[in-house]
Parts: sequence; C-alpha cells; structure tokens
Amino acid sequence: MLLEMKDVSVSYGKVSAVRNLSLNVPEGGIVTIIGGNGAGKTSTLRAMSGMVPLVGGEILFRGERIDGLTSDKIVAKGIAHVPEGRRIFPDMTVEENLRTGAFLRRDNDAVENDLESVFTRFPRLKERRRQMAKTMSGGEQQMLAIGRALMSAPKLLLMDEPSMGLAPVIVEEIAVIIEEINAQGLSVVLVEQNAELALELADHAYVLETGNLALEGPADELHGNEHVRAAYLGI
Amino acid sequence: MLDLLAQTGLNAVYAASYISLIAVGLVLIFGVMGVINFAHGELYMAGAYSVVLFYSDFELPFMIAVAAGLLFVGCLGLLMERTLFRPLKDNPLGGLVASIGFLMIMQALASMGFGVRMEHIPPVTQHVIEFSERVRLPMARLFVIIAAVVLLSALWIFLKKTRFGWALRAAAQDPEAAALQGISINQTARIAMFIGAGLAGIAGALTAPLVSVNPHMGHSVIVTAFIVIIVGGVGSLEGAVIASVVYAIVHTFVTTFFDGVIADITGLSLMLLVLIVKPTGLFGSADRA
Repeated sequence: MLLEMKDVSVSYGKVSAVRNLSLNVPEGGIVTIIGGNGAGKTSTLRAMSGMVPLVGGEILFRGERIDGLTSDKIVAKGIAHVPEGRRIFPDMTVEENLRTGAFLRRDNDAVENDLESVFTRFPRLKERRRQMAKTMSGGEQQMLAIGRALMSAPKLLLMDEPSMGLAPVIVEEIAVIIEEINAQGLSVVLVEQNAELALELADHAYVLETGNLALEGPADELHGNEHVRAAYLGI
Repeated sequence: MLDLLAQTGLNAVYAASYISLIAVGLVLIFGVMGVINFAHGELYMAGAYSVVLFYSDFELPFMIAVAAGLLFVGCLGLLMERTLFRPLKDNPLGGLVASIGFLMIMQALASMGFGVRMEHIPPVTQHVIEFSERVRLPMARLFVIIAAVVLLSALWIFLKKTRFGWALRAAAQDPEAAALQGISINQTARIAMFIGAGLAGIAGALTAPLVSVNPHMGHSVIVTAFIVIIVGGVGSLEGAVIASVVYAIVHTFVTTFFDGVIADITGLSLMLLVLIVKPTGLFGSADRA
C-alpha cells in the first residue's frame, strides 16, 4: 500500500469530524472519498497532509508514519495536496505559483522539464505565465492549482473538490486530466461532492456519512448499485 | 523661497527614508506572521542604543556600531518570534498583546541600563553638502537616505528573485497553501522577523546621532509607522514605501510652513481621509484587510 490510514479520528475542538476511519490507497490507483456536506471528506484529506492533528489512529506513507509531521515535511515525503477552493497565490504570477510548487526541489533541470510538461498539459497556463494568478477564471485557477501540485514531483496527489464551482465542460476537462495524470503512474485520492464523476474516475470508493465510514468497495460496484445510489449518493 | 522649498524637499526625502525602513519592516512582519508588532518602535530604539553602547561608550567605528545594531535587533526579532509569537500563533490577539508587554520591558531595560535622560552621541561627521547657501544636506542624513534606498532595493530583489523571497510572499498570501508547497511557516516567520526587526534596528542606529535618543523614542515612531501602513494599505510593501514618501512630504512641508502640531493633525487627517475614501488603504486589497 502506498498510503494506509488506520483507525483515524479527527476533531475540531469538541466537534468530531472523522471517527475511526481506516482507508487504503494502493500504488497507481485512484481512490475516491465521497459523501455529503460535513461527512468528513475534507478533514480526512487534511489529516493526510498534516493540516489537522489526529486525535487517534495513525497514517503510514510507504510504510512510514507520517501523522504528527507538519505539512511542509509531508510534501517532502511525496504527497501533494490540491486544496479545496484552489488556494493559489493571488498576487503572484502563474509561473511563480508553479515554481513555488517546486520549492523543496534541488534538481533544477528536472524542475525546468516539469514546468514545460505542465505547460504542455495546460497550454492556457503557458499563455498566461506572466499574468497575476488572481486575474484568471475559476477553471484556469484549478488547472494552476493542479499544475502547482505536480511541480513537487509527488508520488501521491490529494485533490479536494476539483470540480467545485466549475462549468460542466471544464469539469470534463479536469476529469480527463486526472485520468491522464493517473495513467502516467501517479496515485490519486479524490474527494468529491460530485459522486457520479468521482465513481467514474476511481478504482475504489469510500462513502463517508457524518464522520463515519458508511460503505466502501470497488467504484464500479458502488456506481451500479441502485440501493447505494439512492441511499448514499443521491444520484 | 525656492531655496526653502528645496531644503524642505531634502528634509522630506530624509524623513521618508527612515520612516519607510520602519514601516516596511512592520508590514513584512504583519504580512508573513499576521502579527501587529506594537514593539516595533522599541526595536528602533534598541538600534539607537546599540550606537550609544558601541559607538559612544566603546568608541568603535560608527559603521561597526550600526552593523552591531542590525544584528542585535534582528536577533531580538528572532527571540520575539520564538518566545512570543510562535506559542501564541493560534490566538488572534495574542501576538499583539504580547508585543505591548515586550515594549514595556524594552523601555524598562533601556531606562535601567542607560537612564532616562537623553543620550549625547558625538557627531559621526560634520561634513555638509552645500547645494547653495541655504540648501544644505548633512552627510549623516545622506547616509540614512542611501541606506534606505540600498536596503529597500535589496529587499525587493530578495522578495522577487530568490527562492526564500517567494516563500515569504507565498506565506504572506496564504500560509496554509504555502505549507502545502513544502514551505516551513516557522522558517518564513523567522526570516520575516529578522528582516523586519533588522530594518527597524538599522533605522534606529543610523538616525541615533541625529535625533534625541531616550528610552521612549519609539513611541512617536510607531504612531507614524501605523499611520503610514494604514494609508498604504496594511500588507502592501509597495504601499508602505509610497505612503512613507507621501506622509513625509506632507508632514515636513506642513511643519516648515506652519508647525509640528498642525503637521501631526494633518497626518492623522490624511489617514482618516484615506480610510473614508478607500478603507483598505491606497494599495491594500479587501481580502488582506
């Protein structure tokens, strides 16, 4: 397993967000975490990258404990996080945003190569490389956030609601990109409210309900199951 | 009349120089750490006392005393970051309240160590550049102007061109997203605090022979710096520099042609006017305020 969560619990003060969740991400796979508002999806992802402390359980990445590390140390291990709401740096240019993603890297030639491949993947980012990030559309900002995460040359990509607030045609574009990235060997954890989209992309799915694991299984099975669709996915 | 205007202009450039050194440090600390450092005027005071100690008392060369001031006050900044601001990071007002406490401790320490009377510092240079009979620029003031231009340019290049400069800007715009890029928030806080405090220290050290050095000298400086960063837009470094220039020009000219009290009133009125017309300051944006 690339990443294992064992019995993880997360709280904000007295409010419990995730309870005793165990979850596995295999090498090369796309795992999705779906569920409604407040189900604990984002908290689970934030726990993986050290943005919230665990109140119980442990997280292993390539067999090594990473819970308790700060976010910057976890990036160094090879986990990149595309946060909810994109969180690009508004007053920096597109290129500066991308290069910030490679902050920890010392292999300058490989960084230049990766920058070129991000520009090949997202031609619009290349056109706007000198533009301030805040002047771009939502879809472009999402692409910038993904490109920035790829610049750290991660082993695992965590994506929090990449489809949020985007037009359907852009969502399609993002979906294709996620598939391409994964096909090139990068493992992905995808948190989505758009369960239909998530189940189409993922190999394996975890359904959360108010902080508890309600259901898990192969994505196509969950996708085909009428009961699951009605009870948990609302589709 | 032309002479008077030229002389007042030179005085304004000098005032803008040291004010911007102080204000930019204050903005940098606020931007990167989210802390309003009320003790910033006392860091300036500590820089001035470094010159009292190393230059007047130990009779070391002035430039060495200034360098010592920069280092000493920069390290004071690191101390504040580690002992006050980092432990209180999760408390929105914690840093501010702690810095007020630190301000009082600094004033008390300076009073105990040096006494409350104004310090006499032997002049560094008597040399004066004479443009005409009534337009004169003392060399000591020119030092301050040169130092401000050089240091602020260096800071600008650091922020725009270097890896750690980018990290600082990223951390100022979104600390959590910056951490997700592998940027250590504690490290950017240390860098911002060292630079911000160091700039205040060097401003204090360079102006020490030109002003009255006493334990409470930071007070008027911090008031000016707050006006400047509010006018410039809290969080904007460019805004702080430009507002420093505007404030210095207005304040110096009003002082020359009317008097100092009216100049202070004008400065504060300028701030109120900006707050009414553009509450985020001239160069601030709404999401930073």
